[in-house]
Amino acid sequence: MLETAFEALKTFDWGSDLAALAPIEDAATASHGKPEARQDLENRLIAALKGTLTRDAQDYICRKLANVGTAAAVPTLAGLLLNKGNSHMSRFALEQIPAPEAAAALRDALPKVSGDLKVGVISSIGARRDRSAVAALSGLLADSDASVARAATLALGAIGSVESAAALQTALRTAGDRRSTMIDAVLSCAESLLASNQVADASSIYKAFTHESQPRIVRLAATRGLLACATKPSVRSV
Amino acid sequence: MSVAKKPTRRDFMKTTGAAFGVPYVITSAALGNSERPAASDRIVMGGIGIGNMGRGDQGAFLGRKDVQYVALSDVREEVRDKSKANIDRHYNNGDCKSYNDFRELLARTDIDAVHIATPDHWHAIMVIEACRNGKDVYCQKPETLTLREGPLMIAAARRYGRVVSGGSQRVLEDYRKYVAPAWAGEFGKIKSINVNVGPLPQLCNLPGETKSEAIDWDLWLGPAPWAPYNPKRCSGSFSINGASWRSFSDYSGGGMTDWGAHHFGGATFICDVRDQQPVEVDYFDNSDEKYLAYRYQNGLTIYHNKPRTDQLLIEGTPGEKLAPKPVPGYKGEGGIYGDFIECVKTREKPFRDIESAVNTAALAHLGNIAYQLKRSLKWDSVKQEFVGDAEANRMTDRARREPWQL
Repeated sequence: MLETAFEALKTFDWGSDLAALAPIEDAATASHGKPEARQDLENRLIAALKGTLTRDAQDYICRKLANVGTAAAVPTLAGLLLNKGNSHMSRFALEQIPAPEAAAALRDALPKVSGDLKVGVISSIGARRDRSAVAALSGLLADSDASVARAATLALGAIGSVESAAALQTALRTAGDRRSTMIDAVLSCAESLLASNQVADASSIYKAFTHESQPRIVRLAATRGLLACATKPSVRSV
Repeated sequence: MSVAKKPTRRDFMKTTGAAFGVPYVITSAALGNSERPAASDRIVMGGIGIGNMGRGDQGAFLGRKDVQYVALSDVREEVRDKSKANIDRHYNNGDCKSYNDFRELLARTDIDAVHIATPDHWHAIMVIEACRNGKDVYCQKPETLTLREGPLMIAAARRYGRVVSGGSQRVLEDYRKYVAPAWAGEFGKIKSINVNVGPLPQLCNLPGETKSEAIDWDLWLGPAPWAPYNPKRCSGSFSINGASWRSFSDYSGGGMTDWGAHHFGGATFICDVRDQQPVEVDYFDNSDEKYLAYRYQNGLTIYHNKPRTDQLLIEGTPGEKLAPKPVPGYKGEGGIYGDFIECVKTREKPFRDIESAVNTAALAHLGNIAYQLKRSLKWDSVKQEFVGDAEANRMTDRARREPWQL
């Protein structure tokens, strides 16, 4: 059955009957907790992805690798990351594969792509909250491509670490019309820090935005943040 | 003639309770009359996604005297043109602006609030962007497409002090016969309730067709995987069986989220757990009968599709009666729309505040994942992750197509 499904994948295209691929779906579910069966399935998916397939079939495999892929799938997916037609679905898998190799592949792709593809790679790095990427993302905050700079800003906000907040705060000094997105990202960092009980770090960020020179919406957000900090037990005990 | 006036409702909104701005000047044309508030006291609104549900939402807001509807956005040209004509006819002017790209609408500083009724794969991006732009939001249900989106939407709403309401009118209005006795304590402690809803979403592999309408296809797809145009793929009809986007997993959680927003919303309201998410989802597979049991920290079980069990069948504690509680309801006048508008004015939380909407949608998403994996799951609602199940955790979100990002 699985053999037949992978055979069907070779000619699979928009309009093909998805039922032909059902054995692959079944194998993905049934191989949970069975390393050999899971590895066999992944190997088949990787091998198929290396072959000549339609974009639809490639996309389907990437969807499955998002569920079952490991470090073994990363090199093949990383190659697709650089293609306009495949980059998103490559990230569809890479964003979910927990192996550090997947995170590294996204970081490594950063200098190799531009425009929308770069924005996509950055957004996946942010979604993974990859702290190892803070330095690389920080270097993009003033990118000449405004969409890349914005993506890096939001990704650093999603990572939400002390380091990413610091990078954003430094960049804020020269942010110009990117300022509001950057402040949003810094506030997002403060929320993450607060959620992980790094109250002093969060509080320090919020205080910086309560000055009357800040836009009203920002001052109010910072004030709400400070109030939230004040309700954390660790603050009361200080 | 121009008139200097005292601080208004809009001033209040802009400050969200802080210091009031300086008085400003408006023209006589905007002063209103005894039947209509002055322009400065109206809520200036726009709408994004004006298809089936969006058109209904627009009509509800347009009919309110305390709303000035000024802009709309839709990726379908015909929808945009018809909708603009409808609004201009309503106000007897040509002032309504229409946009293909919602970002242009959200960038307008004169708009206080927006309603969003796009397919679900757009909701999180738009709601968060609206909050960043200082807008209050009424978002149609199901509010989220993935589990990760919910907390980010709540965070954006709270960060900027925005009023963000979900969109199921049925939660309050359809289940009164269960809600009233439940909140009156007549069932005693509720042990379980059953929700029958479905089906699950399906992958869409429809063939490409020649476009039969003027639609910005790339923008319709937005963060979803690229796919060729097919009218069924993007149909806004209410089908959940393969003839509309509601059926397909790239754009929707299927019937589980579509009607689940109502029924799960009703169940959680009846049982007063709208502020919670379950801690376990037990998966039962008895031959052809597959069903779920959502377990809550307080001992409640919400069943999904329990065999031979009626919709919203409640198992209480016979012989026990609990102290009655006041039943929450809408504020203002005009159902869920009036509730939203009233909260925009007062800055209270609406009945279907984004947090309870997210919690309801989470039930459906957790269920979809359990059915897909065919196993029981433990859920840490604080960390928003499955406990001890890395594979399930891969399904809490999905990569968005460039250049879209949360």
